[in-house]
Amino acid sequence: MAIAQESLSQALLEGTREVFETMMFMTVEQSNEMYEGIDGEALLGSITFEGVIEGCLGICTSIDSARMIAGNMTGNDDLDTLSSVEIADAMGEVANMVMGAIKGRLVESGDDIHVSIPTVVRGTELQNSLGDDAQEITETVSLDDSIARLTLLYRFPE
Amino acid sequence: MAKTLMVVDDSATMRKIITRTIRKAGLSVADEILEAGDGGEALEKIKSNPVDIVLCDINMPGMNGLEFVKQARQDPANANTKIIMISTESADDLIEGVKADGADGYVTKPFTPETIQKELSPFM
Repeated sequence: MAIAQESLSQALLEGTREVFETMMFMTVEQSNEMYEGIDGEALLGSITFEGVIEGCLGICTSIDSARMIAGNMTGNDDLDTLSSVEIADAMGEVANMVMGAIKGRLVESGDDIHVSIPTVVRGTELQNSLGDDAQEITETVSLDDSIARLTLLYRFPE
Repeated sequence: MAKTLMVVDDSATMRKIITRTIRKAGLSVADEILEAGDGGEALEKIKSNPVDIVLCDINMPGMNGLEFVKQARQDPANANTKIIMISTESADDLIEGVKADGADGYVTKPFTPETIQKELSPFM
């Protein structure tokens, strides 16, 4: 049975909330503001998957937001002491855990996917691409005082 | 007596989180918690530094957690070592399979200190 986009969208938001609230003690709210991109450099944590659907999940935030996420995850209040490696590693783990939460919801529905190891890139105007036949779910969420862009690209394997 | 622990995860951040969570859970563990970045490194380290409990991720580059459990259980020296898996994977068949291979417990990420405490308490 084809997976409905609505249920994937719900899994993306629920999974993100679960991870941020449990591991980082941060509140996640759907943002109603028009997404106009992230000013300056950003970090994009991505993880690919294959199975009943294939594609990739991306979580993109500004460097400052990523630093705050890493600080909350590791319990380090002195954010200036966090290295760029630690911040990138934290973003990779966030992508990994959110993907795990989505996978858990798919498994509960009788579907399964295999998940890769996460990757993180730093730059401007970052986005993943899966070709013209991909379906896309995007959500902008507020994390306390900052925003993150969640993107789930997927397609059904031939 | 405080238990000796090793945390195995390819993410240094996740190793730090797990270590911090164990401390927060108020469990009686040794001051030094050993760390390894994959299953192969963990096997090498527990040969020279046996520990009471290993907390091990599943999806890791190099030797993953499933292979680590199988290889660790082949060595009689690790017979008394408790192995707890910590993973984002939550499928029942995977959990049952890794327990059949010799894992003693399973924690799903994301986790709270209470979850860690509940899973580790029987082995403390």
